[in-house]
Amino acid sequence: MIRDSEEVYEYLISPDEYLAAGVHIGTQVKTGDMRKFIYKVRPDGLYVLDIRQLDERIKLAGKFLAMFEPDKILVVSARQYGQKPAKMLAKITGAKSIVGRFIPGILTNPALADYQEPEVVIVTDPAIDTQAVQEATDVGIPVIALCDSNNLASNVDLVIPANNKGRKALALVYWLLTRETLRAKGIMDFPYTIDDFEAEL
Amino acid sequence: MDIYSCISCGANLFGTNYVKLPCPACGELIYRCKRCRKLANSYRCENCGFTGP
Repeated sequence: MIRDSEEVYEYLISPDEYLAAGVHIGTQVKTGDMRKFIYKVRPDGLYVLDIRQLDERIKLAGKFLAMFEPDKILVVSARQYGQKPAKMLAKITGAKSIVGRFIPGILTNPALADYQEPEVVIVTDPAIDTQAVQEATDVGIPVIALCDSNNLASNVDLVIPANNKGRKALALVYWLLTRETLRAKGIMDFPYTIDDFEAEL
Repeated sequence: MDIYSCISCGANLFGTNYVKLPCPACGELIYRCKRCRKLANSYRCENCGFTGP
């Protein structure tokens, strides 16, 4: 709990844990779409993301995902370090996941064996999971994206500002997202740790 | 037939050129046109004031 001059904001986990996982570390590139989520620029040129906005967005994303049936949620991650967290989120919440290569047509071509009709798509990096974002746009599905300071928010409906390149950062964000989704559904029992979500080196 | 309008630009929405999503904060339905999504134009929920994306 952080006491500001006027209000008291309660974080999901302590800010120190956020900082230890490095979720606030951005890149040396800033886009206009991400400007409002940037807290400051470090002397070495790295942009630092605002962890309070990240915390607020994870709470909102959890509530948002809880509005959908679990099997209508699709988690996509082509990024190596995001694959295990994405699979864990899918396994625990009952969602579907596609890790590695996203075969074109999964959302748009009913003739494909892997064809799916989700109602919401979560992507780990909109700059890498472009195929998933594009197909979701074509069929009119909302997109949630983990966006770093260098990402554009094109075709994204809910930005979660976070470091989407770090192993520990991705594990922490997906762990919190899973926990918040279950909490929003009234499931308080969550026996998993952040280590369970962390990809191997 | 109901005609919806984009929450950002007010354009009328037809066919599949839009996305419908519940507001992450309050659940009120939000409609965004393809163009505003592509340009990442911000939207504001009329019910709760949530600003996205």
